[in-house]
Amino acid sequence: MEAETILALTMFAVTIAALLSGYPVALTLGGVALVFAGIGLITGHFYLSDLRNFPLRIEGVMSNSVLIAVPLFIIMGVILERSKVAEDMLNVAGKLLGKIRGGLALAIVLVGALLAASTGIVGASVVTMTLIALPTMLKTGYSPKLSSGTIAASGTLGQIIPPSIVLILLADAISNASSRASTTLGVLPQAVSVQDLFTGALIPGFILVGCYLAWIAYNAIFKPEICPPTSDTESPLPRTREIVFGLFAPLILIVAVLGSILMGIAPPTEAAAIGVAGAMFLAGLRLANEAGTSRWVPVIMTGLVSVVALLFLANTFDLRLGRDQISFLDYLIITVTAVVTLLILAGLVASAHVFHKSEHFNPAITSAAHITSMVFVILIGASLFSLVFTSYYGDELVASALAAIPGGKWGALAATMLVMFLLGFFLDFIEIIFIVVPLVAPPLIVAGFDPVWLGILMALNLQTSFLTPPFGFALFYLRGAISEGIETKDIWLGAIPFIVLQLSVIALVASVPSLATWLPSVTR
Amino acid sequence: MTDLLVLLGNAIKIVGWIFSPILLLPLILLLPVRRLTAITQFCVKWIESTSKFTLAAACTCAIIMVLAQLFVVFGRYVFGWSATWLNEIVIYTYAAMFLLAAAHTLYSNRHVRVDIFRDRMSPLVKNTIELSGFYFFIIPICILLLWSSVSRSFVASWINFEGSRESDGLPIYFVFRTLVPVFATLLLAQGLANAIKTSHKIKSLILKDYQESQYGS
Repeated sequence: MEAETILALTMFAVTIAALLSGYPVALTLGGVALVFAGIGLITGHFYLSDLRNFPLRIEGVMSNSVLIAVPLFIIMGVILERSKVAEDMLNVAGKLLGKIRGGLALAIVLVGALLAASTGIVGASVVTMTLIALPTMLKTGYSPKLSSGTIAASGTLGQIIPPSIVLILLADAISNASSRASTTLGVLPQAVSVQDLFTGALIPGFILVGCYLAWIAYNAIFKPEICPPTSDTESPLPRTREIVFGLFAPLILIVAVLGSILMGIAPPTEAAAIGVAGAMFLAGLRLANEAGTSRWVPVIMTGLVSVVALLFLANTFDLRLGRDQISFLDYLIITVTAVVTLLILAGLVASAHVFHKSEHFNPAITSAAHITSMVFVILIGASLFSLVFTSYYGDELVASALAAIPGGKWGALAATMLVMFLLGFFLDFIEIIFIVVPLVAPPLIVAGFDPVWLGILMALNLQTSFLTPPFGFALFYLRGAISEGIETKDIWLGAIPFIVLQLSVIALVASVPSLATWLPSVTR
Repeated sequence: MTDLLVLLGNAIKIVGWIFSPILLLPLILLLPVRRLTAITQFCVKWIESTSKFTLAAACTCAIIMVLAQLFVVFGRYVFGWSATWLNEIVIYTYAAMFLLAAAHTLYSNRHVRVDIFRDRMSPLVKNTIELSGFYFFIIPICILLLWSSVSRSFVASWINFEGSRESDGLPIYFVFRTLVPVFATLLLAQGLANAIKTSHKIKSLILKDYQESQYGS
């Protein structure tokens, strides 16, 4: 065996061992890489000049305009979470559906799928839903297995249903892999955009939600004793106002943000900025009374009305400023539009003020900064790792290992999926995207797999991994959020039916690739 | 002006070298020495307030980023107007947000860890891992970043006050490039503060063990 091969293999083994020691992942990845770069320098297998250009890679991340969507979606999610808008959604949906058998479980799946959209971080949605819904479910006589399984599974939906943060990062990694694969093949690169992955994930995501709902409905029909109605028929339905603000307003926001990305109206970054503004408006309205700042409500409402007015104005008149001739009337309309825009901004500032008064602003923005920094420092550490690993030909090693697996390209795919599934037990989605995808995706794409389809399969696979006992992240979060009233055994057993559903959907998407590739090809 | 900048750069370099032995402080603390508490406490306090300050800067950047991106959206979809400088504000604040917040993220232990085995480790093992991590991982990474980012082209950017490549861009590309060495310095400093605290913990854990073995229970 050549010295480089030995170095690459030991580097990988040492990295895994060092990660298990529990030191922050980002620093471990970069640190182990540098230790091995040092060994290579001494033995003459590594050149210092390879490291000299590393800042260029960081500057590449710093000026990557697609990745700007990540902090924006994180800010949006944090605002919805801290302002209790997310909590209200679950409460209202639970009340609406609580009258039928299995209703609360159905509500959890639906809200999980919607919240997904906004949080995209496994922990946040599992913990929120556990704290709000699990006690009610157990009290009314739901079986612990069904309730914990539903919550854990719905919490992981956030990864597959757009606009999830992990899909944005995955799109970046898959797109790089695809362009490297096309260099190998000598063909024009097939660009993979965030929009492609979002649209690709839509049908598999909906099928998954449908399967979850069907499983709960099956239980409600055939085993009514394990999922009773949570509210009796006499208890009043939530008031219209509650339904409008608690359920429909967030729904409209999420549909608007997602729709504008999927229809190709706005790139993810711009849609995410609108999402942040919308979330801020909702937070302002939600918190105005609690914070004793209800006098700002009219300003916020004016801002919301102005949004509608602006949409009307922008779609009716030609407001472009760069034209040669602008008539007096046009000037007038442009001025009106400018005033309307200012009113929206005023509403936004008022909402932010309310959010600040209720003492949620600083924690929310701090938490968003922490999460963003965590994600991007891992990206920096992982790119240092891959720089050193590649200089020992680690990527070629992985490619030849995949080629040596019996069963041709499908064997290689199956092996990759299995490895990712196992890595999902102790690594987060983000690390796997940054370390594993750049190594395994190019050879698989060279072998002839579609990049979008491959990305969706990987996302589904990892999502299943997070749900699988004994190491699934979602189960840990659920366990952590509730200390008593439920046994670990029940959590594990409850997850099994959902894992079976997941595996069937993976098999379905694997055998019918057009489920993932048809929609992107239509909207592109 | 050029000479002054080069002089300033070299001065920062010399100050850095003078202060570099301070990185050994956590190891010195493990030795049976006394009377270092005042110095170490001063260091930790000063570093942590710097991290808090840069976090506040990062949060401000986040707010500016959202607003600037909203202006981009309004400008583009309503008024058919766009400007490179506005897009560059978004990019620069986005980069500043995650680079400046990194040190405080380390301080408040929000960098994600693999914790399946960590939960079962004894406090002594945990703290030893933390301290080794500082010397084997944080210091090499930060030194690499400082060494490689302050390159010849970086100096050239500063001397020429290099601006955007576009004519309507921001004239502060050199500041943007400076974020990388600033990030490395902040991370190194916060790593040092954490290592000092860890060192204190290790020492007291060892002392406790020693006393327990001396007096039984």
